[in-house]
Amino acid sequence: MRWLRRIGHKPLAEKRLDSELHFHLEQQISDYLASGMSPAEARRRANLEFGSVEGFKEECREARWENQLDIFIRDFRFALRGLLKDRRFAFVSIFALALAIGASTAMFSVVDNALFEPFPYKDQGRLVVVNIRDLDQNENPRGMFTMPEIQEIREHNTVFESIANNQQDDVIQMGTEASMRLDGNFVTPGSLDLLGVPALIGRALEDADYQPGAPPVFVLRYKTWQGKFNSDSAVIGKTFTLNGVGRTLVGVMPPRFAWGGADLWIPCSYEAAQTLKSGQFDRLWGFVARMKPGTSFNEASAEMTVIAKRLAALYPKDYPKHFDVNVESFGHAVVPQQFRNSLYLFLAAVSLLLLIGCGNVANLLLARATTRYKEFAVRSALGASRQRLIRQLLVESLLLALGGAFLGVLFAWAGVRVLSTSMPDNTVASETVIEMNPTVLVFALVIGVGTIFIFGLVPALEASRCDLQDSLRDAGKGLSGTGSHARLRNSVIVLEVALSLTLLFTAGLFIRSFMALSRVPLGFGIDHILSARIPLPPNRYKTSAQIIAFYRPLLERLNSLPGDTSAATASSYPPYDCCPSEFEVAGKSHDEKRNAIVQISSEDYFQVLHIPFLEGRTFLADEVNDARKVAVINQTFRSRYFKNENPIGQRVHLTLMETLPDPVANAWFEIVGVVGDSKNHGLQNPNDPEIWFPYTVYPRPAWALVVRTVNDPAKMIKAIGKEVWSTDPAVAMADPQSMERIRDVDLLAQPRFGLWLVTVFAAIGLVLVTIGVYSVMAYSTSRQTHEFGIRMALGAEAGDVLSMVLRKGTKLLLAGIGIGLAASFAVARTVVAQLWGVSAYDLLSLVAVVVLLLFVGLAACWIPARRATRIDPVMALRYE
Amino acid sequence: MPTEKNDLHRGTLDMLILKVVASGPLHGYAIAQRLNQISKDYFQVPQGSLYPALHRLEEREWLDAEWKDTSTGREAKFYTLTTKGKKQLEAEVLGWERLSDAVSLILRTAD
Repeated sequence: MRWLRRIGHKPLAEKRLDSELHFHLEQQISDYLASGMSPAEARRRANLEFGSVEGFKEECREARWENQLDIFIRDFRFALRGLLKDRRFAFVSIFALALAIGASTAMFSVVDNALFEPFPYKDQGRLVVVNIRDLDQNENPRGMFTMPEIQEIREHNTVFESIANNQQDDVIQMGTEASMRLDGNFVTPGSLDLLGVPALIGRALEDADYQPGAPPVFVLRYKTWQGKFNSDSAVIGKTFTLNGVGRTLVGVMPPRFAWGGADLWIPCSYEAAQTLKSGQFDRLWGFVARMKPGTSFNEASAEMTVIAKRLAALYPKDYPKHFDVNVESFGHAVVPQQFRNSLYLFLAAVSLLLLIGCGNVANLLLARATTRYKEFAVRSALGASRQRLIRQLLVESLLLALGGAFLGVLFAWAGVRVLSTSMPDNTVASETVIEMNPTVLVFALVIGVGTIFIFGLVPALEASRCDLQDSLRDAGKGLSGTGSHARLRNSVIVLEVALSLTLLFTAGLFIRSFMALSRVPLGFGIDHILSARIPLPPNRYKTSAQIIAFYRPLLERLNSLPGDTSAATASSYPPYDCCPSEFEVAGKSHDEKRNAIVQISSEDYFQVLHIPFLEGRTFLADEVNDARKVAVINQTFRSRYFKNENPIGQRVHLTLMETLPDPVANAWFEIVGVVGDSKNHGLQNPNDPEIWFPYTVYPRPAWALVVRTVNDPAKMIKAIGKEVWSTDPAVAMADPQSMERIRDVDLLAQPRFGLWLVTVFAAIGLVLVTIGVYSVMAYSTSRQTHEFGIRMALGAEAGDVLSMVLRKGTKLLLAGIGIGLAASFAVARTVVAQLWGVSAYDLLSLVAVVVLLLFVGLAACWIPARRATRIDPVMALRYE
Repeated sequence: MPTEKNDLHRGTLDMLILKVVASGPLHGYAIAQRLNQISKDYFQVPQGSLYPALHRLEEREWLDAEWKDTSTGREAKFYTLTTKGKKQLEAEVLGWERLSDAVSLILRTAD
């Protein structure tokens, strides 16, 4: 219980310690006096031999454990007080550290989840796709195969353990008020086993399910089960009529299972797969394989090249003249190449941000340390041991590190949340879940916190190592002020400015590109339009008569809906129109190939989309009803092929229509009108020549529907769906959505995301560079206090000092800007492929960015410069 | 500054203190005097450094401390060896003898 007593009697313990040491001194003095020394000499000798009383007192206190806690609390309070006194320093270092940790963790997490571990599938490192790339054309490679090709690959390869194939199909589930259209996937035997994910409820597909003649079953995606079946587990075992076949639902897959992005998966035997055709063509199947263990991508690619050469000999029409075959990681293949490149670019930027953030913190700590040499020298002269000084700095660093780490984790968490919710669809695999990666977080924390501890301890190490006398005399010009240190700090700033400029410039390009993209004139009225696809079940809609018998009443019903509704059908809707065809014009001969996009539509199509007529007229109702071969062309078509003549009445032969399945005999069409251009080849490409003719001439079972209404189109979905159901209960709309939503989500989401991402990083970079410039300038001006004092004592004006500091800052900024410009052009050349409507050397972005950086950088110099002008010469000189 | 500065190893100082205190209750000044006497001023350490060592040994309960009047009537803190301290001293002396035997053996035979 001694310690309890001691804690309770701390003043007594202090008193006793004091009297114990003084007893020693007094005994010594009286002994010396007895030996005949003068009183002054006796006192001097005794004191000298004893050493620092206060120092040994402190050591005695430290020898007692209950004092350790006390000391820690005291250090803690002391550190807190110190940091609060220097609030700007504390806030800026914590903020810089947190930004660096947060941004790098969030970005690394996204890249890791999106590119390296996108799937919940078993052993995904060995999951691969096979891509056939046309070497003569810069097009997306082919990664899908026909069943005969797959049969050949299955028989002859030795590198794959197993192969899974899927095939998209519209699945209509009949309902009592409206039918539901779902995204179905046929999957070949063993597919779900290859992916190795067990069902969440019920069972996954088993071998027996794929056998010909097995009872028809299917499994459901979690999201679909949640959204369309209210997470009702009673649906397991129920039978649903899908595309006219009664199928039993046997299981719901776990949340992240989303192979092919489908709603449901239907087993399909190879025999049945062979007979699935689109018209007379073999359908293409998705292809995923699991490589045998120990097989390399190169080996697999080499073998697949051999097999592909043989296939090319068998099916010469399906293979380009020159091609190569690449076996690639499944995960990589799902993320589009362009987006992957942006992610890598951001990854590099963000690693640099982490380094810069840490560099800033190191600079700040060093700057603070120099101004504290005197404090430490005094304290160590007064008896503070080296350990004690180090411990106190450790506590201070601990506080900073805790603050930075806490805020950093918060930033990282928020960053991941924001990134995962703002990530556009179709850029990462549907299975991908973006979440915080703990390893990355720990890594960033270790680097950030390590920086604080390493640089936080510098003053203690230096102060206790160097000679006390020197430190006292030289306070403020400690060891870290040597030339090489200064150069290091300056080059960090130059690099920061350069990197920040690069990021800002890239952001500028993205912004300009996005603005250009969102201002592209579409050529049609996008507002108040609902668009949808209507897949007609092919078994019931075989003939033209059947298809026309569906559309004619449907369009009539839709036109009579409330809200001034008008509806039209077409083979597809802008800005992606389909199917180029060669054509000839009657009475003309030409050498070059003439191409136009062929569109098939109902007569109201142009009026519904507000596409203006420049010449002639649209199809007449009779022409549509009688399936007359009349056509409307767009302005590009007219100006390219009928420059100086009247196109109306000209006759055009569309070769495509004679080679399709169910060809149109004698495909000559008479032009009756010319419409203004509307985007038909995506937002970013120039318009192609386009030609429309009545849908009754060539009806197909998969058509698009466009409906204009004065109401909010999204609110009309139900009413329109009901009309579709009333026309035929076995038909349902696919992807009904407003055209404005298509523009915002499908067309602009990805560029917007890229823009947003790069802007955020540029902003973080700018903040960090501001902190960096500020910390270095503040540091160097505080070290020059003495010099400024002398200058001002000798007659320098405040303005002279101000311009001296600003000149130094400007020099650093300009050096950084110079390097940054060179780096910007290099980076811009690689990102410009993702941009549109802006050059890699965009002058406006460039000027704006340089001005912004100079402004921000000089503002960061301004604070320390102002402080330098307020130096009182007398104080500054005494300060030494 | 003398060419050989005889810094005392912390453990050695502790052992010497224990040895000196073993002879009976002593206050800090007396311990310092005894150490200097015995070692003939061989160890040059600030006398104050004795006190952190004393407090450390007290904290480990190798020494017991008591405030008593000295012969001159002043109050001083007297240290005595505890049973635990005695055992520790024996162990350290044994260890020291072994070490010094080994060292001198090497010095004698390694020629």
